[in-house]
Amino acid sequence: MMPFSLKIVTPDGLFFDGQAEQLIVRTSTGDIGIMARHMNYVAPLGMGRAVVIADGKRRNAACIGGMVTVMNGEVTLMPTTFEWAEDIDVERAEKSFQKASKIIEENASETDVKLAKAKISRAMVRKGVAKYRIDIDPNSMNH
Amino acid sequence: MAGVSTKEIKNRIRSMESTKQITKAMEMVAASKLRRAQAQVSNSRPYFEILSNTISSIVRSNRDFTSPYLKNRTGNRVMYIVIAGDRGLAGGYNSNVLKMVQAEIEGKEATVLPIGKKAVEFFRSRKIPALTENYAEVAELSVGDCFSISKMLSKAYLNGEFDEVRIAYTNFVSVISQVPMTRRLLPLVLPEQEEKAPYTSDIIYDPDNEEVFAAIVPEYLGGVVYGAVCESRASEQAARRTAMDAATSNAEEMIADLSLKFNRARQAAITNEIIDIVAGS
Repeated sequence: MMPFSLKIVTPDGLFFDGQAEQLIVRTSTGDIGIMARHMNYVAPLGMGRAVVIADGKRRNAACIGGMVTVMNGEVTLMPTTFEWAEDIDVERAEKSFQKASKIIEENASETDVKLAKAKISRAMVRKGVAKYRIDIDPNSMNH
Repeated sequence: MAGVSTKEIKNRIRSMESTKQITKAMEMVAASKLRRAQAQVSNSRPYFEILSNTISSIVRSNRDFTSPYLKNRTGNRVMYIVIAGDRGLAGGYNSNVLKMVQAEIEGKEATVLPIGKKAVEFFRSRKIPALTENYAEVAELSVGDCFSISKMLSKAYLNGEFDEVRIAYTNFVSVISQVPMTRRLLPLVLPEQEEKAPYTSDIIYDPDNEEVFAAIVPEYLGGVVYGAVCESRASEQAARRTAMDAATSNAEEMIADLSLKFNRARQAAITNEIIDIVAGS
């Protein structure tokens, strides 16, 4: 596959800067896959798994908020938070999941419930992505 | 007896010594905080830069000006996000950025969003209206806070509460150089764009441009505010370190000077005593 230049950058630092063959991310309207020679494109990101295929290797990450752009062949992913599957703190995600569930059960105020629901979705994304820790052969496309 | 009494000089030396100790300690604290702030700057800088570049390239190649974020407004109401420090004793750090803003808002109908206690106090004493004073502590400001600021601002901007949004912060060039600056955040129109013919490249906005801008602009603002906060924090510590370093060496100089005077005064006293004895009056 033809590579393209990809940058993944968040306020916490640069996560990826180099050549990749494919990028799959969840935008606000659904998952999209970007390959080389994509047309100029802008979309806000949703919450979900991002997959980067570079050097024939697949890497998974939890990718929440922000935007993805393709400008003249250069792809830039600018999420609010981005964590490689290997770096996800599952325990922390589990804890925040439990805490938020409790808040919802307790029938807290509307804004609290709203925040708790957002917390739950973030925790679920992290927990879900953490299952993809082992690098998988890109040819077996069952993931 | 000649000049000041030895006791007086001794007291002054003692007080200089303790001042020197304080400035030395402050310098060391600032140096260690600076190291942390510098690491934060180098982490957030790529994001800050790439975000700004991407937005400006979108704006440059954009040919659709239906979004309110992309339209120039004629009004005179400016919103300033001003980032200063929480504390003084940082050389010109606070006054440089605050005076710059004050000069820029001359004759405009300005509202400010002060970040940092010094900024809050400055605008309060000059009776310039503040949007909110909830973000008084710059040291405690998190990424999440920056995104809530940006959401609040984009909402107010869309409601037409002001015509322009600008940010004032101190750019961290290096440990010895920090430059206060302001830049425009909204509307997202490049100054030269209105005359030049726009680029001829199309962009797919997914799902459509209105929704894309509605989602992207708060994201962009939040990122820029966070980047500016990181820059300012590092600048503050660097400015304080330099100021305290200078204060410490000034104190040292004064102590040396005073010690010389002290010895002279002591010698003069002894000489006087001897003259008295020799004269035998």
